Amino acid sequence: MSLQLVNVSCWHGKMCVVSEVSFHIAAGEHVALVGGNGSGKSTLMRSILGLHRAYHGQILLHGKADVPRADLHDRFRSIAYMPQRQTTGHFPLLVRELLASSRQLAASQLAAERLNVWQLAARPLHTLSGGQLQRVFLARAIGMLAGEAKLLLADEPTAALDFGGQAEIAQVLADLPVATLVITHDRAVMSRCDRVFEMAGGCLREV
Amino acid sequence: MTILTFEQFTELLQLLPVQRAVFAILIASVAMPIVGVFIVGLNIMSVRFAMMHVALLGIAIGLLLGLDPTLCGLVLCALAGAATAPLAGRPAGLSGPHGFLMTMAIAAALFVLSLSGVNANGAFELLWGSILATRNSDVVMIAVISLLVLGLYVWQRRSLGLLLFDREIALCSGVNVERLTLILLVVIALAVAASVRLTGALLVDSITLLPALGARNLGTSLSSCVRWAIVLAVVGNLLGFVLTLFFNQPPGPMLVLTVGGLTLLTYLKHRSP
Repeated sequence: MSLQLVNVSCWHGKMCVVSEVSFHIAAGEHVALVGGNGSGKSTLMRSILGLHRAYHGQILLHGKADVPRADLHDRFRSIAYMPQRQTTGHFPLLVRELLASSRQLAASQLAAERLNVWQLAARPLHTLSGGQLQRVFLARAIGMLAGEAKLLLADEPTAALDFGGQAEIAQVLADLPVATLVITHDRAVMSRCDRVFEMAGGCLREV
Repeated sequence: MTILTFEQFTELLQLLPVQRAVFAILIASVAMPIVGVFIVGLNIMSVRFAMMHVALLGIAIGLLLGLDPTLCGLVLCALAGAATAPLAGRPAGLSGPHGFLMTMAIAAALFVLSLSGVNANGAFELLWGSILATRNSDVVMIAVISLLVLGLYVWQRRSLGLLLFDREIALCSGVNVERLTLILLVVIALAVAASVRLTGALLVDSITLLPALGARNLGTSLSSCVRWAIVLAVVGNLLGFVLTLFFNQPPGPMLVLTVGGLTLLTYLKHRSP
């Protein structure tokens, strides 16, 4: 699945936080998105996903135009997403239940075993460390990619990990055979991507 | 305070209204704590007060139009629950809309009662239910709504777990969050309105919220929270009812105090989220 953005601008109220961004990510291509805090990276990613709806321009998934709000849950199923805020939620949820939300529990379990978190399956998420949570969310995303999802959006997927963990997860991400857009400040992740985009003041340039 | 002998207690249990009350408690204690878990999970404690007042407005409209007041209360609560659903995704949550709804509903209810010339006390009495005054129609109503609640839980357990955990994670997992929230708010509104008829407006928490608050301290997932909530509700309400009969006291306060006591005990084993 490819991802194409055409003149996308995102708004928070009357404030434009992403201005006229256009790019294309081919199927299987890995792209890093870097930039300072508040430069609009996460808002852009949330707009691609459909969580942020205040935008103009076109977001095309595999050439398919933007979907109306009512059909958004279909879009959510076609994108695997690792949120920046690795939430521990308002209500208890077991690691196993989060992994099952990928709709591909076997694949998620396999990924969780590889990422060394499957032994935590019976634990509530709020009892995990930040690094463990990030590994669980990655295992869930990999499970989704084994099903309907063909695009990975990851927002700072290694931020809570130690140096060894950052290199390990960067390699796991690099090995995924799907189009990937990853927001990162981690050189280990950046160096394994095909291209790097930088955002500053809401504008995008390739570096 | 009069204390019954065991023989007097068993004689009371032979009475039809008492048997009906036990039956109603059992049905409600199995299903309504699940609604309490939904309320705690969505962090919408204010929904109880809002729906109680909306139910009063429904009762007032029923009295004005000569329709079944309880049915009018249920229908209006369902509509009010559905009307608030689009606001559920806002960062500010639903406490503001519920406060607005509560104030407007009570004002409108008093206005309608004034227009119809019906004594307001009569309308309030309908809200001030008692488990010992339970009618067959109340048992049927609570049974139907209990089935609805259980059905929703069984049908959507995984999606509900994700929604209560985090709205955005549920969205990103392909859950139709808006539709599920709408269904949930309608079912919560109906359940609160039906429970009000059973236990009285101020005591509805003994079968919904208090067991759920206790379960939140003991459970590690939606399923375990639901199991704990049902156990606390069944044990607490049956024990409270037995104490009501033994000590010849009003049922509502006794039920709340008993379930509340059990809930308090769960805080001894509280695990912070």
